[in-house]
Amino acid sequence: MHTEHTIESPHERQNRHKAMEAIHVINALKEDFKSPIKSMEYFYTLFERVYCNHEPLHEGKSKIGTMCIQIPSEIIYALDGVPIRLCNGFYTDDEIGGDLMPQKSCPLVKATVGLFASDNFSDKPDITFSPTTCDQKTKAGAIIESFGHTIIDVGFPRTKESEASRAYWRESVKGFAVELSKFQGKKLTRTNLENSIKKVGYAQSLYHKLTEFRKHQAVPILGVDMFLVTNAFFFDKIDDWIRAVENLVAELEQRSSEGVHVAGKASPRIVYTGSPPIFPNYKIPLIIEQSDAIIVADETCSSNRMFNDMVAVDEWNLYDMIDSISDKYLKACTCPIFTQNDDRIRRIIQLVRSYSGDGVIYQAFAGCQVYEMEQRSVLAAMEREGIPILYIESDYSPSQQGQLTTRVEAFVESLKNRKRMKK
Amino acid sequence: MNYFVGIDIGSTAIKISVADENKNLVGHKISASGSMFYKYAQEALSDLLRELGIDEKEVVYTVATGYGRKLFKEADENISEITANAIGAQQAAKEHGNIKTIINIGGQDSKAISLDAEGNVVNFAMNDRCAAGTGKFLDVVAMNLEIGVDELSDYHFKSKGTPLSISSTCAVFAESEIIGLLGNNHSVEDIVSGVHYSIAKRIVKLVKRVGVKENVYFDGGPALNDGLVNAIENELGHKIFVPDYPQITTSYGAAVLACDAFNSESVN
Repeated sequence: MHTEHTIESPHERQNRHKAMEAIHVINALKEDFKSPIKSMEYFYTLFERVYCNHEPLHEGKSKIGTMCIQIPSEIIYALDGVPIRLCNGFYTDDEIGGDLMPQKSCPLVKATVGLFASDNFSDKPDITFSPTTCDQKTKAGAIIESFGHTIIDVGFPRTKESEASRAYWRESVKGFAVELSKFQGKKLTRTNLENSIKKVGYAQSLYHKLTEFRKHQAVPILGVDMFLVTNAFFFDKIDDWIRAVENLVAELEQRSSEGVHVAGKASPRIVYTGSPPIFPNYKIPLIIEQSDAIIVADETCSSNRMFNDMVAVDEWNLYDMIDSISDKYLKACTCPIFTQNDDRIRRIIQLVRSYSGDGVIYQAFAGCQVYEMEQRSVLAAMEREGIPILYIESDYSPSQQGQLTTRVEAFVESLKNRKRMKK
Repeated sequence: MNYFVGIDIGSTAIKISVADENKNLVGHKISASGSMFYKYAQEALSDLLRELGIDEKEVVYTVATGYGRKLFKEADENISEITANAIGAQQAAKEHGNIKTIINIGGQDSKAISLDAEGNVVNFAMNDRCAAGTGKFLDVVAMNLEIGVDELSDYHFKSKGTPLSISSTCAVFAESEIIGLLGNNHSVEDIVSGVHYSIAKRIVKLVKRVGVKENVYFDGGPALNDGLVNAIENELGHKIFVPDYPQITTSYGAAVLACDAFNSESVN
């Protein structure tokens, strides 16, 4: 009859929940689409190791947590640290954080807070830097600190046109470099910074190569796979990531020459923008690509925004390099937290043009105010340009799958019709 | 000797319990509801009484409960399965401490019942609309996997990988998900544990609506499935109590109520 069972600890339960979320998405990526890419196996395995087996990747290394893309990884690598970006896509952690934040908060921030609250990391950050970007991230720092974690705020301006903002941010980055250098007990030198700028730059150039293939009529890689690749950059060993992406580039070259197309002949080409899809919250991208459309480009901070713009150095001396790094993270950024953000609209239009996009899908996390607010200007701009756009608000919960699918499918069908009419 | 009968007519099975004057369970019977609830219920009752050697005249009070309770016209009284479940659980677990929370998964519904220190129902929650995550759902799953319902537990404990969650606990949609998983050669063990965890998560959400207070009692046919029991324990984070005959708690509660009703009538 009824036997005695061992019962999971809260951490074990949390890990199992996350493993279940993770494997669900990994299996969908592996199994739901035609012509799988061999070099993607590296990434599938990586995510399985980290999120199903909870395997640490950086034992013995100094791990530097970052709360947004604005914390320059170039400086972290130069100081022998491993950057770990803590923007979190797990519903399990979102539910934990939900008890600590107001009801209508952003799921990404809730998930990050939830992860810190549970203190259940496979690679626990030794120190975390939090740029004061959106209100929720800014305020989350104090909540996280109250759990006994070390969080250091890095002042980030919310206008990017003014010279004063630029000077302020450059000072912030210098302050960050000094703080981290103290923490690491290592000096930032011209040589180590130049080397890390070049290494991160090389990683970016590989990303640019990947995106080039997506301009072709036959697209050799799915958008969801691309999100996984860029997402791996959040936490993977950079050298391993570079090697894996080199292999991927080589395979895509081969596929491209053979005309391999991962979608259907009539599949509309989508440019994705808005709140970042972060593993395993690939809900909307998966629905899009399971609905016979293909994501050819994105304007999100978990992918394109992270890699698009390079550090442009005038003189390879230390202070010039730091200023150039600062500029990249401010001037090129298209985050909706800024007062004026026409850059983002221009970027989306440019992506639609250069990737032959048929339409745009704009996702905002329910509770992510800045993306919710900016939909108005983006929708108006797309209308002016004659670019069809679908705006979707969603969160991390697994419900509403059916309703969301119907909306996306209807949009995809309308794009197909439009294409047919044009012919 | 006086005997008391509780009869629980559910969507899947008819459960009958007989109690003596001390409210002890003297016998029970479980039979399929089938297409003719009333006829089958009558037959099952006379079979049970014959097996126990009890004359029909010795049955002094009968209480019917369950979805089909109003169909059983011979009953002296009928009562909702929530009240009956609460009374049955307390009586069945009386040697194991006070029951404060009951989880019941039936053939086509699931419930969470919260009790106060005296055993009165203070709150309850039920699933709405459909058979998602109920006994019927487990039947469908087992059928798709081509294994018996009674084998689900063994498969659960043999699962080595990550449980493969089913995003829909709707019996209809889950079927196609399971076929998809099988088609991609995932192990039956991991599918089974995934199904159990999906049900467990759902039921624990329901329980949290009424508040989780120990001790927690789990009954209904699916409580025979030890794998599901463990999944619920893991989701709750603590042990739950499963009675020896989890299917008959509610009918036993009805029999206990019959005894009480008879005694109070005779006093008056």
